[in-house]
Amino acid sequence: MAEAIKDDKEVGNGMSKRQAKKIRMASMNKQEIAYLRKKAIIEKVWPIFRFLILFGLCFVILYPLIYMISCAFRDPSDMNDPTVMWIPRNLTLQVIKDTAHAMDFWNTLKTTLILNIGCSLVQVCSCALAGYGFARFRFKGKGLLFGIVVLMILVPSQVIAIPQYQQFRNFLGNPDWSLINNPLSMYLPALTGNGIRSGLMIFIFRQFFKGLPKELEDAAYLDGCGPLRTFVQIMIPNALSSFLTVFLFSVVWYWNDYYVSSTFFTSNQTIALMLKNLGNQLNNTILKDMGGTAGFREQIVWMEAGCLISILPILVMYAFLQKYFTEGIERSGLVG
Amino acid sequence: MKIAYEKRKSLYGYGFIALWFIGTVLFFIVPLIKSFTYSFRDIERNVFGGFVGLDNYKQAFLGDEVYAERLISVLKTTALKTPLILIFALFVAVLLNQKFHGRGFARAVFFLPVIVATGPVYNIITGNMATSGNSGATQFSTMFETDLVGELLEFLGVYGISDKLTMTIQSVTTDIFGLVWNAGIQILIFLAALQNIPVSAKEAAQMEGATAWEYFWKITFPYVSPMILANLIFTIIDSFTDPSNLVMDRVLTMQKDWQYGLSAAMAWAYFGIVIVALGIIVAIVNRFIYYEVD
Repeated sequence: MAEAIKDDKEVGNGMSKRQAKKIRMASMNKQEIAYLRKKAIIEKVWPIFRFLILFGLCFVILYPLIYMISCAFRDPSDMNDPTVMWIPRNLTLQVIKDTAHAMDFWNTLKTTLILNIGCSLVQVCSCALAGYGFARFRFKGKGLLFGIVVLMILVPSQVIAIPQYQQFRNFLGNPDWSLINNPLSMYLPALTGNGIRSGLMIFIFRQFFKGLPKELEDAAYLDGCGPLRTFVQIMIPNALSSFLTVFLFSVVWYWNDYYVSSTFFTSNQTIALMLKNLGNQLNNTILKDMGGTAGFREQIVWMEAGCLISILPILVMYAFLQKYFTEGIERSGLVG
Repeated sequence: MKIAYEKRKSLYGYGFIALWFIGTVLFFIVPLIKSFTYSFRDIERNVFGGFVGLDNYKQAFLGDEVYAERLISVLKTTALKTPLILIFALFVAVLLNQKFHGRGFARAVFFLPVIVATGPVYNIITGNMATSGNSGATQFSTMFETDLVGELLEFLGVYGISDKLTMTIQSVTTDIFGLVWNAGIQILIFLAALQNIPVSAKEAAQMEGATAWEYFWKITFPYVSPMILANLIFTIIDSFTDPSNLVMDRVLTMQKDWQYGLSAAMAWAYFGIVIVALGIIVAIVNRFIYYEVD
């Protein structure tokens, strides 16, 4: 051990590291010394500052989530107990059970999965097709059509919601075909690349495919491969991490959406909608059974529990996919 | 039959976007044009026709008690908030791009708002934080607001120099929660841009002995500048289409009141103003952007 340290200190010619440094310093002028000294200090101090800043900001982000977990497992009476800040005095699962019951959680989850995850899957595929078309082929009117894509990003969905409603009410001008309350009113736009924030997704895919080398497909074409097969067999495997990122975005947007799904459905049970109406729902069930004794602060417990079970599925998904999200973004095509 | 390669490829192109094109005509272009014509019609009373010219627009700006006021306040907050979000996002992205232990975790945490912030969960979280007394994040910001900033400024001897400056600093620190929670995607985009800075540029700067400060302004900033524009546009659009913003809220209220013509006029006027503002900003910012020419 002692020898190892000695070895470490010795640098050539039998000099210790310190001596070598002294000789090197002697050959430098004042400015160089000042520069090195400054750099050494910054390298020592900066990590501490960086840690403090990041720690503080992470706390701001994680705070509501920790609070959510803390609230969801506590008895409502703990809310009025001044000694309870983070760790509940009376741990209970009852609140989560009650909230899940009030939200009809399993049915809601099923509806959400069928409607939203299905839509996101279909949407990612249709947007990838369109994005590829815009990225790789030259055709007349491309500039104008791509202008429409940009317009899709700019126009908020609320502006066109009412004409869209009429469109679905008499689909293709036929008064007998009403798609209101029909899952098709979510699936059809997703299938044709017009779902929630599709413009942005087409844009991302276009940027991404533009960045891939052209030789990839030219080789495939020369070997007599058709365009669709080239896309499926050559381009998609290369774009997998980008697909995952966009898919995650898509799932999140569909999961959190309540505007579109409440416009085209008179009664719809998606998680976002149920969560939005949770306050009323609670008033009609649990709080009514309690005889209206629960104060405003106590109601927070149920609301936070509702939040927790609604975002838990996507948090779990995020935990699995975040690797692609955080390390693989340089290949996600967000940068052209 | 033989078609030239180029021509065949352009046909393939139409094939790839055909599905999207059908959908866009049905679900985007037609509704968009309809909504535009509604803004000139008295659609509530007369389903076919009822052309009233600019009456709906006049009603929106002069007749409606809150629309014009809210419009100005939304434009003001957007103008104040956008640069803040951009500077903050760039700062955090630079931090997250450095090498340190626990970087993966820190990145995962900073992108977390992207997952949560668009939904009703965010509204409940912020609502509950406002009502429950022991909320740490609000304490966290109030701490900055009342004590730290004021005392720091006093300590530095700059208090009383400019009330406006103090106000600005205070508004920044008060809303640190909103800032962090709304900058997720911007951080993501900046980080991707930072990772694309070529290694050769970094090495050259190191050889020349650039300080971190010089490195930021001479290397990082020019390389990231195209993404600053992208982020600028994204941030403005995001705050403009956010259903919880005041003008959007008014438009939706009018829709619920069955005042389709008026709500369409409000939405289109708002849309027009934002597009013009965006065009001007893009034209100005574009002149300061460095594009690498390959």
